[in-house]
Amino acid sequence: MGKIEWAMWANEQALASGLILLTGGIVGVAGQFRNWQFAAYGIAAGIFICLLEYPRGCKAKGNGVQRPGQYCLTVCVKAFGPLTRNYYIRALLHAALCVPGAFILCTVLGCVCLAIASIIYLLAAVRGEQWLPILPRAEPREKPGESIKEPPQNPPPRPPAEMRRKRAEDMEGAAYTNPMPVMPNEY
Amino acid sequence: MPLSWRSWIANEGSKHFILVSRYPVQLRPVPGLPGQSVTADTVGYIALFCERAERKVARYASYKVQCLFLNLKYSCGLFQVLWLSTNIALFWKTFVSYCSGPQHYYLHKMLGLGLCMSRASAAVLNLNCCLVLLPVCRSLLAGLRGFQKVTSRKARRILDKRKTFHMACGIAIGLFSVIHVSAHLANVYSFSAWYSDEFPALNLARHRGEDPRIIMFTTVPGATGVLLVLVLFLMFTASSYSMRVSHYDIFWYTHNLSIVFYVLLLVHVIGGVLKYQTNVEHHPPDCFRPNRTAPGGQNSGFVNSSQVDGLSKVCREEPQFQAHFPETWLWVSGPLCLYCAERLYRYMRGCRPVTVASVVRHPCRVVEVHMQKSGFRARPGQYIVLNCPHVSSFESHPFTLTTCPTERNATFGIHLRVLGDWTERFTDLLLAEPEVGAEILPVALQRRYPRVYVDGPFGSPSEDVFNYEVSVCVAGGIGVTPFASVLQALLDDWQHHKLRRLYFIWVCRELQSFRWFAELLCSLHQKLWQENRPDYLNIRLYVSKERGLQSLSEGRYQVLSARLLIGRPRWEMLFEEIGRANKQKRVGVFCSGPKGLSTTLHKMCNSNHFGATFEYNKESFS
Repeated sequence: MGKIEWAMWANEQALASGLILLTGGIVGVAGQFRNWQFAAYGIAAGIFICLLEYPRGCKAKGNGVQRPGQYCLTVCVKAFGPLTRNYYIRALLHAALCVPGAFILCTVLGCVCLAIASIIYLLAAVRGEQWLPILPRAEPREKPGESIKEPPQNPPPRPPAEMRRKRAEDMEGAAYTNPMPVMPNEY
Repeated sequence: MPLSWRSWIANEGSKHFILVSRYPVQLRPVPGLPGQSVTADTVGYIALFCERAERKVARYASYKVQCLFLNLKYSCGLFQVLWLSTNIALFWKTFVSYCSGPQHYYLHKMLGLGLCMSRASAAVLNLNCCLVLLPVCRSLLAGLRGFQKVTSRKARRILDKRKTFHMACGIAIGLFSVIHVSAHLANVYSFSAWYSDEFPALNLARHRGEDPRIIMFTTVPGATGVLLVLVLFLMFTASSYSMRVSHYDIFWYTHNLSIVFYVLLLVHVIGGVLKYQTNVEHHPPDCFRPNRTAPGGQNSGFVNSSQVDGLSKVCREEPQFQAHFPETWLWVSGPLCLYCAERLYRYMRGCRPVTVASVVRHPCRVVEVHMQKSGFRARPGQYIVLNCPHVSSFESHPFTLTTCPTERNATFGIHLRVLGDWTERFTDLLLAEPEVGAEILPVALQRRYPRVYVDGPFGSPSEDVFNYEVSVCVAGGIGVTPFASVLQALLDDWQHHKLRRLYFIWVCRELQSFRWFAELLCSLHQKLWQENRPDYLNIRLYVSKERGLQSLSEGRYQVLSARLLIGRPRWEMLFEEIGRANKQKRVGVFCSGPKGLSTTLHKMCNSNHFGATFEYNKESFS
């Protein structure tokens, strides 16, 4: 199957679960159903998970497709260092966050989806993957070589004056030189 | 194809309006036409608004958003408008029926807005679950493409855009599933909180105030609904652009869960949870029931002393409720059967083994493989899907045919570039040297090629090259493969096609890549010159890497050396030249290469000031 990076799929799943949790929370709070406080928790947890999972990490080879506008969040998430880099901690965090969602109906779906994302993150952590930020690399400007500082002192070598002088016997050859041989019927 | 928003509206609207001047847009209505639905001012404002939006998008939006906008702009044809309007009409009709229809009166009183939203979104989901299967019946569409009657360009454009249509239906399914699930969550709460003692038949809950989670997980529609959400969740998260590009196998395997999705869907609608009233004539809603005392709660609406009127609205009998017939079965069963038949047909066709005839190694990590299969027929431009169980049992990869089987030669060939692990392992197996020291066997037995299965051929837009009098084929790198089969077909017989002139533009990063088809190009060029049609084929080769002096040193490739240019092509000048030489003609432009190239060409084709009409056809690889 080739080298699959499970963290990429887990990231997509966690982002989608955050959105599902958020939607369920909004439905619960808007309807003012029984125990709607859990729905309010769902909204808060959903927003937090979306913000955490929005910046995509780069792949092992160093390249990665960025989500639009993810630079600021990448910097914020990177600032937490090993807490966000390690996928074991993320798996545990998602497992912990999903538990309160199981208490009311609106957030149950978000809870189940987040649990699946947590399992895939655990799988990614077991395979030794890590979250590495995608940061823009400053392109090193191509510097011209050192010899540009020293212009040549002498003109390029030429054959001696007798050879350079035009000869009367060969006027045509002296007038111009053909860079390549001319043949009839060239395509 | 729409040129710009203004001219599109002018063209389509010119049936009812006369264009007075182009800038600013002034439209005056044709007198005597009945019922003009859009006034001249509105049309002008729409055109202006669209142009302003386009300029804003060009300035601020990211590249991907720009591509999406261009795609929408140039492909917003009749078909897409029809699809969109059908969805909206279905949503609206179902919404109104549940909100104000008399047969749903009591149910609506119990559930409120959640009922209407859930049923309306379910109707749209029915339509889209039906339509989403149709673009993936590849063999059927390939057959349609070859069918002589389908020669109209509009029909072929619809077939070309099958992937976009599938994605649009998929996105609609996702969006309306969110609405449907949210509305049903609210419905479950309403069933629990507003348990009806009046009409026990309407209830889903077993008693008032039952825990909504128990209602959800212990009823058939609820449990299947949760499983459907999980399947959709897995499918959607694996279908994003970055996942398809980097982990196509996860996308492919999760997408095959769609069969589970459809089975669950068929079971989901059996539940019969939402009921309608069958005897509306004998028991009109909100009628007066003389023997009833006023019950508490929400359903006391019809015991209202001001309505006591002996003549109208007296209930003659108790309301009777019945569950709806599962409409989804009618919508989904047809396309599902079609898709299952298609997969079965492809499996049986792909079961026949294929013999590998020869393998040739080319520079720049390209390998040419010739194969033979009994009963295999293909047209130039089509592609096949290869499966090699020795490399991977489940993975299949598409490759465009570079040589199609003819009467003289029954082999077909592909050129594959070694890019990922599957192609690497496959070429290692193909190019494995026989062991040193083995006994000398006859040539036919010496090479042991792996067993290969071929599924296909499937159609692609490049098949249309022969339907134009003048065609321009632009290829980037290995994207030249569909055009190679076209050139091969021309080498066999160029006289009996509608095509009169072919411009072949090939852009590569490295010079050595041209050797893949140098022989083919030179022999075709030679043949056309000898048969006195020097203007038939125009070759331009471009090397985009501008380092060092580059030329194809062999004498026999002198034709190509003379047509080799360093640097990227200047499309404006090329198109101007082609337009000048083919005035007033319809020129088909075929692009097979990276996205940037195709966007540039698409824009160039639509600028429309070159003298000829350029029609754009794009090959897609992912």
